[in-house]
Amino acid sequence: MAKKKIENQDFEINSLPDEAQDSSISKEDFVLTNVDKSIHDQKFQTKPTTFFKDSLKRFTKNKSSVVAAIILGVLLLLAIFVPIFDTNDTDSSHPEIAYLQPKLFDAGTGFWDGTKKYYHIPVDVSEDPEGIDKEANWWPKPGDDQGQFNKSAVMNKKFSDLSYTDAATEYGKEGYFKFGYYNYVDDKVEYASLTSSVFKEFDVNANHYLTKFDTYDLDKIDMMDEGQGLPENAVLGRAGFYFSYETGEVDKYQEPIRDSIEILPYQDVYSIGSDIESLREDKINISEKIKEATTQTSFVNAMFEVRVENELNHENTVVLLRGMEFDTESSNAAFKEQLIARGFNDATEFAIRTYEDKEKNPQVNYWSTTGSRGIHLSKSYFCDFTYDVYEAKLGKKTTYLSKSDIDNYIEDGVLILEYGDPIIDWDTGEYVIDENTFKYEMLKPNDCSITEDITAADLIIDQNPEHKITYGKVTNVKVTIMQYKEIDIFKGYNSMPKFLFGTNKSGRDMLKYVFEGLRTSLILGIVTSAVCFLFGLVYGAISGYFGGNVDIVMERFTDILSGIPWIVVMTLAIVHLGRTFFVFALALCLTGWIGTAATTRTQFYRFRGREYVLASRTLGASDARLIAKHILPNAMGTIITSAVLMVPSVIFSEATIAYLNLGLQGLSSLGVTLQDNQAELQSNPYLLIFPSVIIALLMISFNLFGNGLRDAVNPSLKGEGE
Amino acid sequence: MLKYSIKRIILAFVTAFIILTLTFFLVKSLPLSLPLSAPINIRNGYFETQENLGYMFTSPTKIDSLKLLYETTTENEFGKQVPVYYYQTPIVTQYFRWLGNIVTKWDWGTSTQIAAGQSAIQIIFERLPVSLSVNIISVILSVPLGIGLGIWAGLKKNSWIDHTISTLVMVLISIPSFVIITFMVYILSYQLGWLPSMWPTPDQTLRTRVLAYIIPVLSLSFGSICGYTRFVRAELCEVMSSEYLLLARTKGLTKTQAITRHALRNAFVPVLPSILAEFIGIFSGSMILEQIYGIPGIGKLYITALSATNPAAADYPVLMVDMAIFTTVGLLAGIILDLSYGFIDPRIRMGEKN
Repeated sequence: MAKKKIENQDFEINSLPDEAQDSSISKEDFVLTNVDKSIHDQKFQTKPTTFFKDSLKRFTKNKSSVVAAIILGVLLLLAIFVPIFDTNDTDSSHPEIAYLQPKLFDAGTGFWDGTKKYYHIPVDVSEDPEGIDKEANWWPKPGDDQGQFNKSAVMNKKFSDLSYTDAATEYGKEGYFKFGYYNYVDDKVEYASLTSSVFKEFDVNANHYLTKFDTYDLDKIDMMDEGQGLPENAVLGRAGFYFSYETGEVDKYQEPIRDSIEILPYQDVYSIGSDIESLREDKINISEKIKEATTQTSFVNAMFEVRVENELNHENTVVLLRGMEFDTESSNAAFKEQLIARGFNDATEFAIRTYEDKEKNPQVNYWSTTGSRGIHLSKSYFCDFTYDVYEAKLGKKTTYLSKSDIDNYIEDGVLILEYGDPIIDWDTGEYVIDENTFKYEMLKPNDCSITEDITAADLIIDQNPEHKITYGKVTNVKVTIMQYKEIDIFKGYNSMPKFLFGTNKSGRDMLKYVFEGLRTSLILGIVTSAVCFLFGLVYGAISGYFGGNVDIVMERFTDILSGIPWIVVMTLAIVHLGRTFFVFALALCLTGWIGTAATTRTQFYRFRGREYVLASRTLGASDARLIAKHILPNAMGTIITSAVLMVPSVIFSEATIAYLNLGLQGLSSLGVTLQDNQAELQSNPYLLIFPSVIIALLMISFNLFGNGLRDAVNPSLKGEGE
Repeated sequence: MLKYSIKRIILAFVTAFIILTLTFFLVKSLPLSLPLSAPINIRNGYFETQENLGYMFTSPTKIDSLKLLYETTTENEFGKQVPVYYYQTPIVTQYFRWLGNIVTKWDWGTSTQIAAGQSAIQIIFERLPVSLSVNIISVILSVPLGIGLGIWAGLKKNSWIDHTISTLVMVLISIPSFVIITFMVYILSYQLGWLPSMWPTPDQTLRTRVLAYIIPVLSLSFGSICGYTRFVRAELCEVMSSEYLLLARTKGLTKTQAITRHALRNAFVPVLPSILAEFIGIFSGSMILEQIYGIPGIGKLYITALSATNPAAADYPVLMVDMAIFTTVGLLAGIILDLSYGFIDPRIRMGEKN
């Protein structure tokens, strides 16, 4: 084509009109330019670029990768600097500040404010059962392990609902008892018995009655929510009442004799269900029944027992009991009260308090039933509220300081507290402090946890004349303290401490803990990747460059090695060698280098036959030179990318191993932190949310960054694997 | 092709053999775990079995140079109780007996802790159905979904749909599975209360037991859905820009015809083998998922058998079988993947001489 064109031009030149040929151009018409200049190659106007600069340029065009790189950089800086600048102690445990919620804003702002929301907490309406609308008269009651809620830290409390629960709560009303359960392991119904061994001094001479023995009402059960787990055929059963006792005198080193009496033998027992109607309104005289069986009166320890058994062998049958009431004609008032307390008007009353301890010790003694507590559909009021954990654990608290503590403060010059000797107030006959002699001043509020002024009434004077030494003297001082000032690690704090990520179960600062973990994970990832990169590079280079039999042997080796699941390798290595950082790095390296080796091998295969390699070899370059100078620089981009992408996979592997309970010991890592707190997902989700978000962010940005890097160093692969 | 297949299968056997041998020696060199806390009849039964299988030998007298494993008494022919001392056979001898027992009796050893005295392989088979059911549902869900999303994204390349799908895939594939499970349990179980937060016991209602599948299945599916979406999209994008597809359009096929007859068929060549390999993968359990969600499958069994917190409670025979399963499944999936390439696309016949 080109040739033809030139021919045409030649033809045109040859066939120029005659006059043009005539006007000949003389030699002088041509002027030589640049005669006195030496011509060199012009310098490029554009800036010269290298492969890496070019890659960087391509990389910066990829917006998401740049963002990922920035996030990675920030995480890296945080991992380095947070553990340095956060001076909180994460090495030892501080149980007094356990489970402080994450706090960034002030309490009450509703988000990240150090408060914890409680839902569906039983309400104690005993102080004023009718006053459920009035905020002041009801309070949420302790759950299982929270202890008493600190009233001053309860915010926004709201009565939520009146609902049925199967949980045994002190504050429930009505409900039913389940006296048996279906044992799936043995595939049979297990009978339950209720026992209470607190019947002391059972007075058999007076009449005691079981006045009411109520079973469930079928109609009511139908109305109940199906989800409550009521069995369909909870129908027939028999009840027996047993009275067992011990005789003898315990104090005289005599073994008590145990015996038991059946008060209502089974043949007398009323079937639970329809027949019970007859019992409902009748009274059963327990004392008579006992007398019938025995004439013993000197019970050391007696036990009254209700045994319930189902009559037919119904599968999944439970017997439900609604109420039981006792009455007595005994003249002993205390015992009368006690006996009445043993009965139950509603299901939850069955959670019997030991009567004597009711005031001091509100602990509940449950009548035991085999297997389950057996309380069903007990009705209880519930509330929702926000709980300011900081206020509760670190905020104001009223307490009593001993006089010596106060004296220490006075000696140290922290405060001035002067008062005259207590004088007797003749109206009440008690010692009081004369207001005129009282003087109080706080000098160094920062050195002392007392926050509110002490008044004369706060001085506690021993009013008991039997105390010979302290009678009529000041023994204690009632003070309001700031709790955090009493904790050693907050020495020097003038405001309430804040924990951005909260604290964990042992009171460790999660912010520092998480970033220490991140640091460990990153170091592990980078060290492992670097080792794998170096080893894989050498291995892959040899395999790929030499090819042939060397390659075949080396490939078989990696084939076998990569056939072992990494989890097996890691488990065996860790179980054998221990759970240290070094072992982790080693175990991860054992199989980790295979990927880099494979990438390197492919790259070397690709480049080793290229013309420039051939040319260099012809010129006498050695194998080492060919590898190092010609092939490697070309293959490097791809190999580095694979090494970068290895870092997240190493971190992931480490976390996975931690979930198998084989995590690093002695060092905090993200995986170990997550695994440790897995059980607290429901109660304290923040313990998992923060590390989870960080590890997810790390993974996402590493992958985005790695992909961007791959596209940048190897544009021909762009879009692959997206 | 046949030659290559046979070669691959033999290689896999060799690999499995080497791995299991290595594992055997490594596990055997750990401190022994013995069912010493089991009831006496099970305990004696266990040691008798061990002796019969050749892993231990007994001696009527104490041997001071060896570590005593167990001592009991037995009745001799005169009806008198005599002491019996159990000692470990040398590990190399144990190894050959172990191999012999597997080949001749399919006996992989006896559990020491999890169900002392029971055959290890039986324990595995008891746990397998749970893992299997979760995995199968997840594969059945994720394959069509992943492929569908991949096709959608691939066909709408560079549109907002594609960008959304690709970003989601990128994000979801990066987030570790345990984070996804944790958040799903937190939101779906604890916050909303829709699903059970743990794998239910068999005595729970059918409804609960069905609902309990949702979180495990979803968390397993996310990974593979994203994997397939990414894979299918990449393949489809490549095919869509190929010349034969242009030719197909040029010769008068509609877009739908061109895509279904040419693009999809060719894009599926590398996808199909990985689906087959995934079906092999259902035989192994996801350890993390089973651990977090409390699923009594073979992944959790691995952790229980390993019992890192208390090495005395470890059950190494069960662990060995579990490791063997994970290894075999991995190798088998690899073979299926490579061989099916050749069957599906005659152009890719690996290892064949040109």
